[in-house]
Amino acid sequence: MEEEDQQKIPDLIKELVLRLLSQNPTSDSQLLNPKSPSFHKHLRYALRILSARLRPSIAPDSAAIAESIKRRLVTQGKSSQALTFSELYTLFDSKTGLGSVNNKWAVLHLLDIVSEDRRSTAGQLDSPLLLPNLALGDAESGDNDSWVLRRRVKDKGWSNGVLLVAKDPENARDVAFREFANLVKEENEVSEEVLVRDVLYACQGIDGNYVKFDSSSDGYVLSDSIKVPRATGIMVRKLCELGWLFRKVKGYVSESMDRFPAEDVGTVGQAFCAALQDELSDYYKLLAVLEAQSMNRIPLVSDSASSGNYLSLRRLSVWFAEPMVKMRLMAVLVDKCKVLKGGAMAGAIHLLAQHGDPMVQEFMRRLLRRVCSPLFEMVRSWVLEGELEDIFAEFFVVSQSVKAESLWREGYMLHPGMLPSFISQSLAQRILRTGKSINFLRVCCDDRGWAESATEAAAAAGTSTRRGGLGYGKTDALDSLVDEAAKRIDKHLLDVMYNRYKFKEHCLAIKRYLLLGQGDFVQYLMDIVGPQLSEPANTISSFQLAGLLETAIRASNAQYDDPDILDRLRVKMMPHGTGDRGWDVFSLEYDARVPLDTVFTESVMAKYLRIFNFLWKLRRVEHALIGAWKTMKPNCITSNSFTKLQQAVKLQLLSTLRRCQVLWDEMNHFVTNLQYYIMFEVLEVSWSNLSNEMEVAKDLDDLLAAHEKYLNSIVEKSLLGESSQLLYKSLFVLFDLILQFRSHADRLYEGIYELQARSESALPSQDKSKSRKQRNATSSEPGSWISEGRKALTQRANEFLQSMGQDLDAISKEYSSLLENFISQLPVQQHVDLKFLLFRLDFTEFYSQQHPRS
Amino acid sequence: MPREIITLQVGQCGNQIGMEFWKQLCLEHGINKDGILEDFATQGGDRKDVFFYQADDQHYIPRALLIDLEPRVINGIQNSEYRNLYNHENIFVSDHGGGAGNNWASGYHQGKGVEEDIMDMIDREADGSDSLEGFVLCHSIAGGTGSGMGSYLLETLNDRYSKKLVQTYSVFPNQMETSDVVVQPYNSLLTLKRLTLNADCVVVLDNTALNRIAVERLHLSNPTFAQTNSLVSTVMSASTTTLRYPGYMNNDLVGLLASLIPTPRCHFLMTGYTPLTVERQTKNIMVSSYARTKEASQAKYISILNIIQGEVDPTQVHESLQRIRERKLVNFIEWGPASIQVALSRKSPYVQTSHRVGHYFVSGLMLASHTSIRHLFSKCLSQYEKLRKKQAFLDNYRKFPMFADNDLSEFDESRDIIESLVDEYKACESPDYIKWGMEDPDHVLTGEGNASGTVDPKLAGLKISGCRFKTEVEKVDIYRKDLFIVVDYILNFGFFLCGISADFPSPFEVSRGGELRKSRRLIVCSWEIRCLACIPHR
Repeated sequence: MEEEDQQKIPDLIKELVLRLLSQNPTSDSQLLNPKSPSFHKHLRYALRILSARLRPSIAPDSAAIAESIKRRLVTQGKSSQALTFSELYTLFDSKTGLGSVNNKWAVLHLLDIVSEDRRSTAGQLDSPLLLPNLALGDAESGDNDSWVLRRRVKDKGWSNGVLLVAKDPENARDVAFREFANLVKEENEVSEEVLVRDVLYACQGIDGNYVKFDSSSDGYVLSDSIKVPRATGIMVRKLCELGWLFRKVKGYVSESMDRFPAEDVGTVGQAFCAALQDELSDYYKLLAVLEAQSMNRIPLVSDSASSGNYLSLRRLSVWFAEPMVKMRLMAVLVDKCKVLKGGAMAGAIHLLAQHGDPMVQEFMRRLLRRVCSPLFEMVRSWVLEGELEDIFAEFFVVSQSVKAESLWREGYMLHPGMLPSFISQSLAQRILRTGKSINFLRVCCDDRGWAESATEAAAAAGTSTRRGGLGYGKTDALDSLVDEAAKRIDKHLLDVMYNRYKFKEHCLAIKRYLLLGQGDFVQYLMDIVGPQLSEPANTISSFQLAGLLETAIRASNAQYDDPDILDRLRVKMMPHGTGDRGWDVFSLEYDARVPLDTVFTESVMAKYLRIFNFLWKLRRVEHALIGAWKTMKPNCITSNSFTKLQQAVKLQLLSTLRRCQVLWDEMNHFVTNLQYYIMFEVLEVSWSNLSNEMEVAKDLDDLLAAHEKYLNSIVEKSLLGESSQLLYKSLFVLFDLILQFRSHADRLYEGIYELQARSESALPSQDKSKSRKQRNATSSEPGSWISEGRKALTQRANEFLQSMGQDLDAISKEYSSLLENFISQLPVQQHVDLKFLLFRLDFTEFYSQQHPRS
Repeated sequence: MPREIITLQVGQCGNQIGMEFWKQLCLEHGINKDGILEDFATQGGDRKDVFFYQADDQHYIPRALLIDLEPRVINGIQNSEYRNLYNHENIFVSDHGGGAGNNWASGYHQGKGVEEDIMDMIDREADGSDSLEGFVLCHSIAGGTGSGMGSYLLETLNDRYSKKLVQTYSVFPNQMETSDVVVQPYNSLLTLKRLTLNADCVVVLDNTALNRIAVERLHLSNPTFAQTNSLVSTVMSASTTTLRYPGYMNNDLVGLLASLIPTPRCHFLMTGYTPLTVERQTKNIMVSSYARTKEASQAKYISILNIIQGEVDPTQVHESLQRIRERKLVNFIEWGPASIQVALSRKSPYVQTSHRVGHYFVSGLMLASHTSIRHLFSKCLSQYEKLRKKQAFLDNYRKFPMFADNDLSEFDESRDIIESLVDEYKACESPDYIKWGMEDPDHVLTGEGNASGTVDPKLAGLKISGCRFKTEVEKVDIYRKDLFIVVDYILNFGFFLCGISADFPSPFEVSRGGELRKSRRLIVCSWEIRCLACIPHR
């Protein structure tokens, strides 16, 4: 029966085709010959149409179709027919069981279409219009032809056809499909299986038979010689992108691996390659599975039907979707990272990891964890051991070989290019500092105690000191590790600085000796080196000065100081030119030594030197003024003895003395207040700030900053800063004037003593009480005691006092103008503390009243 | 080179205050009664060698000469627990032991007699010093030995050690009470002349004020000399702290005095000693005063130095200086620049309080040169004039060579000098000090200088704010009215006012006045203040 059926259908079709062709008026006799090739062609076409699995575009619902037919009848006004139809349909629908139609909706649909068709062709059944189409054998004929054709088939054997479809649909379809497949195969020169295989090869970077790498177009292409449909070609090319990507990644990996020992791929690069390699091996696995799969056929419902291979290009494209994304990512990474290394590479990868797709995120995270592990390892060993295991210069801390004193400042730097963006700047700073601290401790402080701190830190941070404890994404862990380590190491470092190297003590010592805080020491030094320093600079031996310094130390309370500190105190002679006096070149210096020279660097010491020179000068001026006071101190001048002099001379003497005293007072006031200002507003305040900041300093950087601030504030406030150059200069002119005044005052008093001595010797030697009596007597009787000698004496005294008075006046005038200038400059200074100086100098508003400002 | 200072204690009073001074120094330096360094005194930083020298056996010996014409006080010292402290070779007691009988001339004359012995001792001490800075003389100006012999020593020192400083701590007699020494005005006048001419610096210690403080502050109904003397010793030790605890500035006596005494003749300093607490506002460290009335504006500061011991924040000092300046709380001379100088000094680590048991961490001493001191001299002059008019008690003086043959020119000369001193102080109050005495040297300034004892009529009508004081002030005589006290009164706090050398209504009495207690700040306006401070009254 089946065989019969099998045979019956082609026969029927053949007949159908014959009929149709014969009806066609245009067809020639040759066409009607069943043996002719054109007839075969038509036949095949018909078969193909029939075996097509095309479906109508409506839902397979018989009730719906029935309903639509009924409605149409009603709208056409054939309500009775509609009624009849619905009865018939009910009957048809209720018919079940053997022999009944099981594809009811298709039947209905067919009938519907047929009726529709009849109406449109004005009742001409078997319209010959359709036939030329078939005769023309147009491959492009659409659905229209196919259903017409089918209708013909159905028309011919109505019940038979229906039964055929209903009873063994597979059979018919399979045949059609096979036919179709054959057709396709005939159209394509290359079968899909082969293409799939080629694509699979291409995806492993191997050239297949047809799909080959074309370096000119930089991609895998189908060779031109074979003909494939365009769609297939596009598909193949799309799929082969994976191959291209793979080639790229693979190329990079193998290139890096090859390069590795010779060139600086770097550990991060290696890790990256390894991670890529792992991803690739996953990919290989997938390909292997696919390849295996490609051999398998699609398991169909019936074994008999020959299906295509399990893997079609389409399937492949589905399979490849995920690897494609990954591979693309990898390729992008490879592109990005080709020129990068180390931290920069990790940073670049991190940047790409910011992706919304969880799959990508996860992938990138996995990758980064691998890539960053050497980096984190470096951080760990840097932070905990101070080791810079960075032969490929990948780490974001770079070292420079410098001398021990500049190790802290210049020894290690952050390399911004190598700093991955997932490590923040501040964290990087902390990391840098912590390792730096360890190295500083090791190199400069010769300290081993830090290891304990590091162990403690590691324990506290929770991550053990073992390798690989850190990883990408655990920024918190890194943070806390760095924090703990930094806290402990810094504390340890400060402890070492404070306790072992006595930083505070040295600061204090510098304040006491270089900033003249140890008053008695400075005074004795001034006393004993003073005469030396008045000599020309080139005649002074610094050796001798060193001896004097030693003497001053021994004579003052400095002797109780730590010998280590005293040992560091040296005399320094600055380079001198001709005409320089010792005063100009003498200074003290303090030898800070490692590791304190990190704080007291050369530039810092130069600043100290400047401050010292200023203070020393100030001290010298004060010393000179006090020396002047000593000569005019109260019990030296007993104006009493001058009563013997002539009235005019006496007056002049008094006036000169008074002017001298008042000028002295003014100068002394200036110098003392300047000193008080330096002491109170500058040194003490800055020092107490420094002490406070030292207390709260958490690391050496803080300490350095605090010290820097301290020094700068002293420099600024003592008029040594850039902005107060002018002021400083006028100050020095003032100082010089005061020194000049001192020599004048000395000369004046010398003259007065001489006068005193002479006038006494001019008198007959009497005891004091007698001379006083004499005075009373002489005053009543002026002129009697004026002898020739006296006259000359008086004359000379007069001249001397006059010239001295003029000199003093000149100095006084100059001093006033200079001071006025100085004071007028003070309020315009930027530094607010200099206003305090003004306030002190002009406490009683003496100057502001003298020169009222507009 | 410790810049040694040799102390000369002359007469009963001089030796008494000297003894207290050494006690205080020993305490501050951790030296025990026998001159041995205490075990705990290991902290360095102080300079013991300014006032002590070290014998071979770690024995610290004061550079002090104990001189008296009668043995009573010195015997007392030698029998006291401090007997081993002093170098016995440095003790001089007159052989006859009769004293000077409160007679200046006697003391002076005897001084001349024993000059060689004493100068030998002084020379020996001076030779033992590397860089002798000067001498400190403790004496009173009223008695016989301290004034007479002290005067003689001043003259001798001036001759022999003219380059060295001579500073005196001179106790002025209690002028409120009728003194048991009737010739006190004579003695004072004669001594004042030497103090003016032969000393570089005179720290005036007024017994009147000392007594008052002892009575009112220390609640001693009848203060002994030892008690008032301990006040003096505190002042003395405080004024030398910067020498003994070297700091940035004022590390020698010259430096300390130089800026205090710009005009050589006006070298009489007033002192105020102020224990302070750090919790208090810093203004108490400073002299506070009140924008005074026009009438009182004449008295002026020539210079002020505050020595602050202990920890004090420099910024606080600055603030209080600023306040004083802004409110013009202190009147300064107008002929030159002046300011309040502050010396911060360390404090002895061994003595928790420098004066009394209490809660004080900071102590301040003020040294000031102030023109109102002239009233003290005017007072001396007027008292002298009274006696001199009567020609009273001059016989005692005529017995001695200086006044032999009824030659009283020494008195006249002294009077002239004191008068001119008073004039100079007065001139300092005017802006034209520089020209003073130039135009007309023979012109003698009128006023106090004429020794009439009368006050400027403008001053007499002084208004005093704070009625409680009105009666107080009325009671005191004209001389006292010249001394003003300005009190910064803080509610709930008592006062400690230790003005030495001046007599003033006690602020302690003020605090007893109910109404005043309620006012937040009371400014009593009398004219001058030398020292005051508020401390918690516990």
